[in-house]
Amino acid sequence: MDVLLHQILSGLATGGIYASVALALVMIYQATHLVNFAQGELAMFATYIAWSLVQAGVPYWAAFFLTVAIAFALGVVIERVLVQPVENAPILSVVIVFIALLVILNSLAGWIFTYTIKPFPSPFPSAPLFGNTYVTSHELGSIGITLAVLALVFVFFRFTPLGLAMRAAAQNPVSSRLVGIRVGWMLALGWGLAAAIGAVAGIMVAPTVFLEPNMMSGILLYAFAAALLGGIDSPGGAVLGGFIVGVLENVVGSIIGTELKLTVALVLIVGVLVIRPSGLFGKVLVTRV
Amino acid sequence: MARLLDVRALHAQYGPTKVLHGMDFGVEEGGITTILGANGAGKTTTLRAVCGMVKTQGEIAFAGTRIDGRATESIVRLGVAHVPDGRGTFVSLSVEENLRLGAHTRSDKAQIALDFERMYGYFPRLKERCRQQAGTLSGGEQQMLAVSRALMLRPRLLLLDEPSFGLAPRIVQELFEIFRVINQTDRVSMLLVEQNAAMALRLADHAYLLETGRVLMSGSAEELGRDESIRRSYLGY
Repeated sequence: MDVLLHQILSGLATGGIYASVALALVMIYQATHLVNFAQGELAMFATYIAWSLVQAGVPYWAAFFLTVAIAFALGVVIERVLVQPVENAPILSVVIVFIALLVILNSLAGWIFTYTIKPFPSPFPSAPLFGNTYVTSHELGSIGITLAVLALVFVFFRFTPLGLAMRAAAQNPVSSRLVGIRVGWMLALGWGLAAAIGAVAGIMVAPTVFLEPNMMSGILLYAFAAALLGGIDSPGGAVLGGFIVGVLENVVGSIIGTELKLTVALVLIVGVLVIRPSGLFGKVLVTRV
Repeated sequence: MARLLDVRALHAQYGPTKVLHGMDFGVEEGGITTILGANGAGKTTTLRAVCGMVKTQGEIAFAGTRIDGRATESIVRLGVAHVPDGRGTFVSLSVEENLRLGAHTRSDKAQIALDFERMYGYFPRLKERCRQQAGTLSGGEQQMLAVSRALMLRPRLLLLDEPSFGLAPRIVQELFEIFRVINQTDRVSMLLVEQNAAMALRLADHAYLLETGRVLMSGSAEELGRDESIRRSYLGY
């Protein structure tokens, strides 16, 4: 029982990471109807930036917020410079751009920071909080930060004029232009936000998986499974999907062995696509032909 | 009176298909101009051309500045609101959010709040349904929403694309009555495209008759409405 509880709690901690990356995927999917395959590598690259800042003597939290800001700017620039020119190109061209971005960021990180695995600091104490034996402080802290980020994103989209304009631009670009919304910039802003959310996820997961250029590849797969499970067009669903996948992965992994953990994600992806392609909360798309 | 909108030798095309072949027309400051014509004559395209939604050649001047070739959102920000073909509702947002988006370019909070009340005054049904998802509204209600959303911009020029389309005659009457009020009290100039020629000619002061992308005839709305042969051949009433 104790073991199971422990597995569930640490599953929630990694689930929070998946939830963040899944949310970033969904945000870009909603605006462009494309899955950004480079989302994980963007997060990884941002984590390296955080690492460099910490190495340079910047205090942890200052480095944290600075990295989030840099990731945001990086996301905006990537959209404006690389994605915008292929806006009206066929889907395959855009996907190729995403994959190129993935490869470029990955190699760039390896080139600049080498492929040596690096430890990454956690801002939370190493002793368990409140004397519990189930969950480490870092796990608890990263759940807390993930939830805070998700709450912030929710408030931003729900209650601010800019958030409303971004939702409008994603949903109906033509009408959005007709009320004066600069749709192109809303897309860039979406990329910036997604990159910023990814950066938080990267920084939170790095102390457990360690820092290296391929650290996000598995996570992106889980996040993709989470987004599909929740419904690729539903931000709330993606978040819930993230937590479900995290727990499922951990519990199933402890029963059938950790080597088969990644299989859980793949089985989930195939299972969702076969049984319920729209996911738990996604809209079923009906098209007249 | 100066022309608020002045269009000269307007050509427009969708890809290789030319739709407008050199149109000249205008809207007087404070006036209502209507463009009439059969299906496929290029009425909707004309409105789209004015706010930069299609590729055009020729001159389009709004309040003395050239706007042809500018991005749609920049033209809108000058004070041109468009009630588009198909209403352009943000279907998964609430009625209130739809209206809030209409005021996206404005920052005068107190005035916006007053305008909300004004729109709910014109269309009480929108107030009843303000929390409802806009996609669940009836066709007539969505048309009211589209008009209100455009007015929330506080436009100088309102482009109306077949506002009567698919609506019950009583609602059309109501809607046109409100257009008149808006035109007279707020001095909003209008460019109205309509199938319902009788209604349009009664509201407008100036009219253009369009045939396959060319202006066939123009004049005061009264003149065009009186001309028996035009009425029978082109306006169908």
